[in-house]
Parts: sequence; structure tokens; C-alpha cells
Amino acid sequence: MPSNMEQLVAFLTDPVRLLLLAAAILGVYLVGANRRSLVFIFKSLSRNKIRTVLSVIATFFLVLIVTSVWTILYKLDQMTKEQSKDLKVMVTEKWQARSQMPLTYAKPLASGAAKRPDDVKPQDDMAWSFYLGSLDPTKLTPESIVFFFCMNPDKFPTMMDDVDQFTAPQRADLDRSIELMKRDKRKVIIGVKRLEAINKKVGERFKLTCQNFKDLDLEFEICGTLPEGRYANAGVMNIDYLQDALDQYARDHRGIPHAQADKVLMFEFLKTDDIVSFQRLAEQITTSGLFTSPPVKVETASSGVASFMDAYRDLLWAMRWLLAPAILVTISLVISNAISISVRERRTEMAVLKVLGFTPMRILFLVIGEAVLVGAVSGFASSGLAYWLINSDWNPMGGIPFQIGWMQAFRIPSDALWWGPAVGGGAAFVGSILPALSARNVKVSEVFSKIA
Amino acid sequence: MTDEPIVQVRNVHKYFVRGSEQIDVLNDLSLDVPEGEFLALMGPSGSGKTTLLNLIAGLDQPSEGIIVVGDQIISDMSEAQLARWRTRHVGFVFQFYHLLPVLTAYENVELPLLLLPMSPWQRRKQVETVLDLVGLTDRMRHRPGQLSGGQQQRVGIARAIVTDPTLIVADEPTGDLDYKSADEILNILGELTQSMGKTIIMVTHDPKSAARAGRILQLEKGQLVREVVA
Repeated sequence: MPSNMEQLVAFLTDPVRLLLLAAAILGVYLVGANRRSLVFIFKSLSRNKIRTVLSVIATFFLVLIVTSVWTILYKLDQMTKEQSKDLKVMVTEKWQARSQMPLTYAKPLASGAAKRPDDVKPQDDMAWSFYLGSLDPTKLTPESIVFFFCMNPDKFPTMMDDVDQFTAPQRADLDRSIELMKRDKRKVIIGVKRLEAINKKVGERFKLTCQNFKDLDLEFEICGTLPEGRYANAGVMNIDYLQDALDQYARDHRGIPHAQADKVLMFEFLKTDDIVSFQRLAEQITTSGLFTSPPVKVETASSGVASFMDAYRDLLWAMRWLLAPAILVTISLVISNAISISVRERRTEMAVLKVLGFTPMRILFLVIGEAVLVGAVSGFASSGLAYWLINSDWNPMGGIPFQIGWMQAFRIPSDALWWGPAVGGGAAFVGSILPALSARNVKVSEVFSKIA
Repeated sequence: MTDEPIVQVRNVHKYFVRGSEQIDVLNDLSLDVPEGEFLALMGPSGSGKTTLLNLIAGLDQPSEGIIVVGDQIISDMSEAQLARWRTRHVGFVFQFYHLLPVLTAYENVELPLLLLPMSPWQRRKQVETVLDLVGLTDRMRHRPGQLSGGQQQRVGIARAIVTDPTLIVADEPTGDLDYKSADEILNILGELTQSMGKTIIMVTHDPKSAARAGRILQLEKGQLVREVVA
């Protein structure tokens, strides 16, 4: 679990966040030093409530779309971002999209196929299979389906992503459940949402009709839960239980193994120090001669995901470079239009302010202030509400529903809490520059000569 | 009133260019206004009185000539410098009041003080003092739409004097008011000169209003043609 100091250092070394922090501090200072001007800005916005409310609503929904798009891109970027240390390496079947390797590969892969003393060995390893079953033998429904990661239970805390996000009590529960799973292979852990969906509780036993290993229907006992979040809909079972079931199948069928007995291992994950170790590990495995039928490929987990995401390249490109910018431009135009009308209506007022001693620059800031206030407040309301509602337990979809590969839904990251005001405020700032310049350039003598 | 001129206009020429045509508004005009004087500028439409007022108030720049107010040559200042100068040195009273409709009488009067380095307490004291001076203490929380024309103009005067300016300029301050309200406004302006020694330059079409001033200057075709001392 990263310490607070590490989080602080990470925060302070991120230039974007630092810039936003500086902008926020400057904003707080300016608000504090110009409280009365802020009141004036609020009152100016309140003079045409319908226009202001419409601008706020438009910005709210547009920021919501940007937040949703960026949430998906942000998560995918994180998954495909190469780390410089503690790399996760993925070993899969080389020629098949749906990787199916013999479980006998697991042990030599776990040692990185090291033969010589100076060969690189992985820091950690995890063999993965999947077990998909239904409580209802006749059909698969959202209320009957259960999906398990089949693995060595000890590897869950060390190799699965985001376990460091668990709270201390959640982590203690996990450790206790893992001990129970090790003692009794039939015991499983299931995510809280899945448990609720199948209407089961910890301690209950049930039988699943398997969907991906024919005739391998197994009995389970629930010994713990996985908390809200990434694993809320998943489950974990002991991979040895799957192997035992396959062995039993052969015994029950006069020594004839199950058709998928040699296709149990879907992924072998290895953890290694850095990119150099990864390259050596990849070479050791691919040249070892142990993994020829079927042959395997070795890649970093992130590049594995990136390869998978290649199929969605055009869609993601359009989301990143067409949809999101188009919405930002739209926000700017919406606010620019509202502020332009407001400035046109208030030319005399701008001239009066100049007569009273407001400098052109101050008038420019008043107009920009109105726009930025509308943009930032509606942006924050939008992203804040989205974060709260979309990530809440009440949302049956568990995030933004956007099915891409194995991902069903995307939870909004906490970073979105600053995206909203930054996007809303930033787009409003850009949109208000021209109307603000127009207000700044109002000629007092011209305005009053027209009135007279 | 002292004889020391607080406003000095020297050989001012103001023209506008429309296409290839030059329209002369003020021609080689010179004028001195002593400190504490209540001066009325009269003349037919287009004679240049409002233009002259705008130049003295630093709202516009002369095409040629020099304007000095107090000890500062304002005809050389940039737009931003003039804005800062106006905050401290000029109070402007408009014919149509031009109060900000979203602000209360109190907030309208407080507006110029937001530009000065003053504490909220100092601002409050000053605003209440001038609102009391124009007899609007009981209306300070009202918005302009809730006030009569005369009351709005009194707020306008309070706003003009709240910064204790060197000079008060008024462009037809009674032009939009009935006789009774106009009289009240002129009384207040007269009081500002007599009791507080304020220098006032007022543009008006109304001879009765002009008669309340200490001196009347008549403009025609951009030049001073007559001077009447009350």
C-alpha cells in the first residue's frame, strides 16, 4: 500500500496537478481579496436567471460527457501504461486469441524457465484460469451466473491489481478468507455485488453447472467476500480444486482425461524488477524448449492489453481526438454565446464602470470571472455528482456502462473531481475571451453619445 | 471658493474623423475653473458641451491641447491611467442615473470604493455617510427599480461623491426629472459646493438649473461665446 508520503511525492511531481493546485490557490486568494467583486459577478449572473441556468445546464451535461469519455480513456491509458519497475509480465498461448495452455506450464514458467544460476527469476508469479458457472442448470441469467478467477489463493494479495486500495478491515477479511480457502479447496470468495445478485450469503453452499469446462459441475462454499470496487462482481476459487476435478473426471472415465485437461492455464503472470529483467525473462522462456506445444508469447501486461485494445483503436482515437475536443469547443461556444449576449446588453453598464474608475483590464476580468464561475461551478457539480452517483452502490451497472473486451463498466476516478471544474472553467475561460475583449474595449464617449 | 484653478483647459481642439470628413467639435478652447466653483455649461445641441465635460472628466482625450486637473496633466494619460485617476479624482452624475439594476442603492454607492484600498468597515462608514447626506438612509437596501427618478439621481450623486473626489461633473443631472425632484437635486449640488467646497461642472439645457450655478458658460460651435457670473 503506497504511503501518504509516496502519494504526496507523486502529487508534487505531477506538473498538471501542481498547475491546478497553483490555480486553485490563486483562485482562493483572488476570491478572498475581491469578495465584493465576486458578489457583483454573482449579481450580474442573476440578472438573467434563465440564460444563466441554461448555460449551467448545458455545461453540466457537456462536462458529464467529457468526464465519461475521459474516464474510459484514463482507465485504458493506465492499463496500457508501461511501468519502469515491478513490471507485470503476461505469458499466453502464442497463436490463439483465446489462450489455453497445459497447467504443467505453470511451474517452469513460475521460475522463469531459469536453468543457469545467473538466469533471471521472477519476483512473483500467478497462474490463472477461469471458471464460469450457473446456479441454474438450464440457463445463464444475471441472477444465476458466477465467474471465478482460478488461482493460488496466496497470490491474490500479491499479484492482483488494486488490492492495495482495500481498507485495513477489508484486507484483514481477505487474508482470513484466503487461509480458509487454503484449508478447504471448495471454499471461495465472491464479490459483494455478485453475492447480492445470486442471493447468497457467506457460509452457504451451492453447486454450479460449468459453462466453460463441460461436465465439470462443482460444489462450493462461500467463505468470504470481495469489497465494492473492481472485484465486486467477481469471485476467486482455488486452482487446485479445478485440477482435482479434472483428475477425478479422468478416474471416473476409465483414465480418459477431460477434453480440456491440457487447456486449463489461460494466463501465467510474472512480476519482474524492470524492463531489462523482463527482456531476459522473455528470452529465457521463449528459448527454453519447454513451451513448444503450444508455443507461448511473453509480453508485459500493459502491452498485452494494448495489443488487445488495438481492435478498438479507431473508436478510442475518435473518442480522444474528435468527441472530447468537439465537446470542449461546444462548451466554449455555449458560454461564449451567453456571455456575448450579456455583454451586448450591458455596454452602457460597462461604460458606467469605466467612468467610475474600473480599468479596462478589470472589466475584462469581471466578464471572464462570470464565465469561469459558470463553467467551473457547473463543471464541478457535473463531475462531483457523476462521481458520487455513478460510483455509488445504487448504480446497478457498477460504473459507466461501456463494454470493451472483458470490461463491462468504468468507475469514475477521483481525478475527475478536478477534471470537471478544470474543463468547465477552462472552456468557459477560452469562450469568454472575445466577449471580454469586447467589453474591455467599450468606448465611454461613444456609448453615452448614443444614449444622449 | 479659491481663485486657484483646479481645472485648466488650454487650447483644446477635438475633432472626429468620419470617412474622409473631419468634424470639429471643440476649437481652440481654453478654460479655467477655480476650486470650489459651481460652473454650468450651456449651449445648443452639438455645441460641444458634453464633449468638453468628457475631456475634463478624463473620459476622452483631446485631439490637441492640454488639460490639467489638480496638479496632473490628464491629456497625456493612457486609458488605464485615466481610469485609476478618475477613481480618486472625479465623480460623475449622469442624466439617466445609470445605476446598476442588480445592485442595491448601498451597493451602487459602494462600487467605486471597491477600487480603493479600504477596509469593509471604512467602506460601510463612508457609504452610510453619503447616503445620509442625500437623505436616502432609509432606502439603502432598495434596488434602482424600487426608487423614484429623484431618488435614483440622489443615489447617483452619492455614488459620485463617495470617494471624496476633486471634481464632480454632471451631465444634465435634472434632464430626466420633474420640477420638484430637479430642485432637490440642484439643492444637493449647491450644498456640496457651499458646505463642502466641492468643484462642480454641470452641463444643462435648462436656464433655471444653470441659474443655480455660480458661473454660466455658453458654448456654440465648439467655442466659449459668453460668460455669465451669478
